[in-house]
Amino acid sequence: MKNKTFRKAEPYIWILPSIILMAVFILIPIIFVFRMSLSEVSKAGIIRGFSGFANFTKVMNSSAFKLVLRNTIVWTVAVVVLSTVLGFILALILNNEFRGRKIARAVMVFPWATTLVIQASAWKFIIDTDYGTLNTLLLRLGLIDQGINWTPTAEAYFTWEIACGIFVTIPFVTFCVLSGLQSIDTTYYEAATVDGANYWQQLFQITMPLVRSSLTVSTVLNIIYVFNSFPIIWTITKGDPANHTDTLVTYLYKLAFYNGKQGQAAAVSVIGFTILLICASVYMVYTLRKGDE
Amino acid sequence: MTKKSSSPKRIVLRILLYVVVIIVCIVTLYPYFAMFCTALKNRAEIFSMNGTILPITAVWSNFIDIWHRAPMANYMLNSLMIAGGSTIIAMLCGIPAAYALARMKFKGQTIFLGFVIVSQMFAPVVLLIGIYKVMSILSLTDSIIGLIFINAAFNQAFTIWLLRGTFIGISVEMEQAATIDGCNRLQGMTKVLLPVAAPGIVTTLIFIFINAWNEYTVALCLISTSEREPLTVGINVFNGYNMIEWQYLFAASLFAIVPVVILFMGIEKNLVSGLASGGVKG
Repeated sequence: MKNKTFRKAEPYIWILPSIILMAVFILIPIIFVFRMSLSEVSKAGIIRGFSGFANFTKVMNSSAFKLVLRNTIVWTVAVVVLSTVLGFILALILNNEFRGRKIARAVMVFPWATTLVIQASAWKFIIDTDYGTLNTLLLRLGLIDQGINWTPTAEAYFTWEIACGIFVTIPFVTFCVLSGLQSIDTTYYEAATVDGANYWQQLFQITMPLVRSSLTVSTVLNIIYVFNSFPIIWTITKGDPANHTDTLVTYLYKLAFYNGKQGQAAAVSVIGFTILLICASVYMVYTLRKGDE
Repeated sequence: MTKKSSSPKRIVLRILLYVVVIIVCIVTLYPYFAMFCTALKNRAEIFSMNGTILPITAVWSNFIDIWHRAPMANYMLNSLMIAGGSTIIAMLCGIPAAYALARMKFKGQTIFLGFVIVSQMFAPVVLLIGIYKVMSILSLTDSIIGLIFINAAFNQAFTIWLLRGTFIGISVEMEQAATIDGCNRLQGMTKVLLPVAAPGIVTTLIFIFINAWNEYTVALCLISTSEREPLTVGINVFNGYNMIEWQYLFAASLFAIVPVVILFMGIEKNLVSGLASGGVKG
């Protein structure tokens, strides 16, 4: 009898440490954030009582929020879409047999393994108008006569940040697609060649459907990571000037820790993960359904 | 009949392939090249009007100077402790959970797995306010132990995901045989399953280590004492408001990058197949 109770309880004992860890450091913070988003919060972070949706209306009515929301969408869509396309093409290239393929793979690891804050610092240095190495390089190669101002406007800065985001995201897509490609049975292609299918037909009829699941994994994870990405923008511009390069995460960081508006910051958090949850689940449902057809 | 490999079209494609690969490699490595060259320059050369690509004279002493211009040894040690501690805790909690998910059937299994996956959606940065509050309650703000637990928690999803996939991929027969020989579940796991699963476990371990080593945002927010900062935050002492000491910043950065890049190269293959399959299997 005792044995039977133990066997029923046993799985829960095994997962208990993990549950405690995630409950304390993820679930409780989630609850706090939701509670604070609906409360009046003092500058010191003390909850002063329920305030309904006041924080949300305050946030949504602020002029900065529209801009920040737009930036976040542009940032996420541009980085995810472009890095997925480029990463996919790169994977197709690296999937060929050629000399030095191992070296090329090793090179691709660099941006993936490097902490974003350092990668972003390097970019900030490279694109600097006065002493950046991009200008130096172009000058020395004789391609330009004088230094170009690469960042004349906030939009230009934001574009560079997007480029940096794409740069660091490509390897993950490439490796995911590569692992999918390498599991494809080569006899499919042989049969298709016999049937007279050309390269593009093979790409769209065989390759694409078979790497869909790897591509889905990488895209869903990238949507989440890119949306929540903080270090690149923080290092290069800190969201300045005047919120022109802010995304939701840098905006909420400033609200909470610079301006002492924790209630509003919590509201931004809630808005953020609501958007993310909707996007990620819509994407997943869409691709899974497409895969079933 | 012409051989397939020597048709003109194929040769052109080959050359094109090499050109593209070489360009991609150059572009990818360029930031590292720039960092390395800059780390070897003196201040005057970096800010001079006639910029150079390679340093005129390599100032190797920059790599030594950083150790007494900033508490680099502290940063390094802190990063090691944070990454090592997070890895140990994430594994201690994650291995049993992944084992239960792979080998047992219980009520709430799907809910648990669902929560694990959804937890991926909450990056620490959106929860910072909540995390900060929890940390104040536990009086773990400005502490390395606090960072260790946060990193461990936010890496649980990956740990469980990767390990569950690894465990499912290993046949249960050996463990069943061990049970007949009188082993209990715990012994069956530690003596039979874990040695076989070693490659997957090492991959997961290194991946968490790198994630925690590279973590920036939470450390930036929670740590207020300079001596407790990890490398990612600490090196920004060279990134002052008025003056950026690029040579030192990049010299220090290289110390933060090189170890993890090497580690990552070792696990890349296993990691990717694990990520891509962990969620699908079972």
